[in-house]
Amino acid sequence: MIEMKNITKSFGTNLVLKNVSIALKGGEICALIGENGAGKSTLMNILGGVHQMDSGEIFIDGQRVNFNTPAQSLGAGIAFIHQELNLINDLPIFENMFIGRELKDKWGRLDLKGMYKATEEIFARMNIQIDPGTMVRDLDASYKQIVEICRAIMMEASVIIMDEPTTSLTEPEIKRVFEMMRTLQEQGVGIIFISHKLGEVMEICQRYFVLRDGELVAEGAVADVTTDDLARFMVGHDIEIDRLSRTKNLGKEILRLENFSHARDFRQINLSVREGEILGVTGLLGDGRSTLFQTVFGADRCISGRMFLRGEEVKVTSTEQALQLGIGYVPRNRKENGIIKDMNVLENASIVSWPLFAKRGVVDRERHEEIFRGQQQELDIVLQSFSDAINTLSGGNQQKVVLAKWLAADPKLLILDNPTQGVDVGAKEEIYGTILKLAEQGMAIVVLSSEAQEIIRICDRALVMYHGEIQGEVSGSAMTEHDIMRLATGGVLDAG
Amino acid sequence: MQTAKSSKERNIFKRLMAARAADSHVGIALVLLLLIVVQTLVLGFDYGSFGQWFNAWFRNWINILRNNAGVGIVALGMTFVIITGGIDLAVGSTLVATGAVIMTLIDTGANGVLGGLGITGLPAYFIAIVIGLVMGYLLGKGIGLLITKGRIAPFIATLGAMKIFRSVTQHFMQGYNPRVPRDFLKISNVQIGGLMFMPIVYWAIIAIVLHYISTRTTFGRQVIAVGSNERAAQLSGVNVSRVKTRVYSLMGVLVAIAAIIQVSRIGSMDYANAGSGMEMDAIAAAVVGGTSMAGGRGTILGTFMGMLIIAVMNNLLNLFGVPPFLREAFKGLIVVLAVLLQRKQRE
Repeated sequence: MIEMKNITKSFGTNLVLKNVSIALKGGEICALIGENGAGKSTLMNILGGVHQMDSGEIFIDGQRVNFNTPAQSLGAGIAFIHQELNLINDLPIFENMFIGRELKDKWGRLDLKGMYKATEEIFARMNIQIDPGTMVRDLDASYKQIVEICRAIMMEASVIIMDEPTTSLTEPEIKRVFEMMRTLQEQGVGIIFISHKLGEVMEICQRYFVLRDGELVAEGAVADVTTDDLARFMVGHDIEIDRLSRTKNLGKEILRLENFSHARDFRQINLSVREGEILGVTGLLGDGRSTLFQTVFGADRCISGRMFLRGEEVKVTSTEQALQLGIGYVPRNRKENGIIKDMNVLENASIVSWPLFAKRGVVDRERHEEIFRGQQQELDIVLQSFSDAINTLSGGNQQKVVLAKWLAADPKLLILDNPTQGVDVGAKEEIYGTILKLAEQGMAIVVLSSEAQEIIRICDRALVMYHGEIQGEVSGSAMTEHDIMRLATGGVLDAG
Repeated sequence: MQTAKSSKERNIFKRLMAARAADSHVGIALVLLLLIVVQTLVLGFDYGSFGQWFNAWFRNWINILRNNAGVGIVALGMTFVIITGGIDLAVGSTLVATGAVIMTLIDTGANGVLGGLGITGLPAYFIAIVIGLVMGYLLGKGIGLLITKGRIAPFIATLGAMKIFRSVTQHFMQGYNPRVPRDFLKISNVQIGGLMFMPIVYWAIIAIVLHYISTRTTFGRQVIAVGSNERAAQLSGVNVSRVKTRVYSLMGVLVAIAAIIQVSRIGSMDYANAGSGMEMDAIAAAVVGGTSMAGGRGTILGTFMGMLIIAVMNNLLNLFGVPPFLREAFKGLIVVLAVLLQRKQRE
């Protein structure tokens, strides 16, 4: 029996958990759900000893405990299975089971037989038919998950936290993991199941906790609610979202995808975007939207399906080709994908258009300066000098520079992936304003975002993705956070 | 109250330090200057007149520069390679391979290829040089394709190329000593005003051209972008593979130029040893000149000065009479110190 009472936690000035209390009994599977950024991971990281709470208490079987490190938490019987599995591919299963706690014989040599046997015993107890000598590399994703769970069991974990365990699994693999979870349950182990897939929550969990903006907003028995109810708890009341308006001038079709599929991340995508249109694409973790549009941009490969640009079929195999075809892409995670830290502001703002304006391979610096001077005014970029290092600018201004570099190339289709990630409110509004203006001028725009509110504010219509497929479409003034969440968690909208 | 005048004077040091912080070249230039001053002092002033002293000093400098022109040129190309986050261990072997081909072409003996075709003199030299450059380009491009299309780590790809190029060259050149025509030697040895400085001229011209390429052209700037953040460069429409392949091709051409200079300087080549260790000297010059092995940072000017620092250091050790076996230790020391200093400066 585990209890977390009145947990509060902030990062800097950002309060991420407010007085959250949850409890879990042995032999119970509890769902912990909430939107991205609701505080689920932080709460579990506190239980797992990764983060320390600011205030609150944790009790195990009525005993008050305090975790400063993951090792302490593990010692108290709490195992945290992260999304990125902690297994070493080049070792067999039985050695992975004992990493850091290897069995040794009296000469200090590894006791391979002993480890193999111990693993075999655990597998027998858990009803798993694999050879402990198999290399982890050769296991599919579900068995890797299962090996991690077995490792937790071997360390006598009484509580297992599973962070989105099913995101990268196929249907039969999910079934296998669920079977394993039921076996654990019978043996009295408590499981906290973090997931975005509400259908799975209904299937496997007995109770649920919903977090929203760092607060526990609902809890109870899964049997008493529907997926719709859960989606509503996650979003809260539909608040009135002020949609930004513009003169809409839809023209010809710019991009069309037909049965567009990727080896892993998305399947059978059909969509179309027109001149002057702002299309939103949203979903929760693992929806595949980023890979989808990186593939459109030539940074990844599709395995089947067709792509049309202004009615002509194209195969985009490089980002350079995408640039020449008039496709622009403002990536997510500015630091990793957007800015080049060893170059100054002007170079970061002009890198995309160097080849477009170069004379015999020589960068036309004056022209880029002139263009950027205009953009600096238009986008209101605050900076001292064009030759300053890019990371002297604030996040919002850096993001505007990344936007500017693509605008300089004047694309026909502009894809923006999380365009307001890590920027302040003021810059956010300015970026929205720019996006609307570009659409008015006839650019076709795709906005990828995990924030439903952002989608509703600026997009004409939005596609909601769920595990690599388009789950549904919402449009116009009928877009609500609730509908988007229902689709994003695998549900469907009522007809009519 | 301090007067403006005294503070200005006292601040020369401070201003230098500020300039050093703003531009990493200043620090490197200061070290170079210091070494030159020491070298000048060590050389002494024991001469009859200023003219004699200057003559000796100047000739010493011509020697230093001429001896380092070949590896200096290679170091400039290595700068581009290292900026992309790569390394080229094959330069020394590419040098003997292209050198052997050029010598076989212009050989005045019975086996000379062009001589056998009845082509001699200037046309022969011209053809040999062009073929040498093309060959350097192709060898470099092959390495580049291995790295980009074959996705082999630069260290491994160039290690393989290094073994292959030298071994094949040695095999085909055993027992064969081409005779290089005297006129060809003029490329490096022509005397102007009693001084042989053509290699220095080639080095200087190449440095200026490469500096321009690095700072002004799309290619040069894309090299920096790719080295600094490959993913961001790719997502900015940069063809990362092509940029990298071109960098290795350019390296190959520069090595071919170094080969031409070497062949025309001494008229022969020791296929087993020529150019061995050249890759490390080139890397050392780039690193001393402020190029980051992690990629994204480095300049032609920096590497040029880095090469001079190592060269003057060598000259100093010579003047001090340091035993030859110990000299490499000093070279190692200066590389390590340079990187330590640069790290300090950045922090």
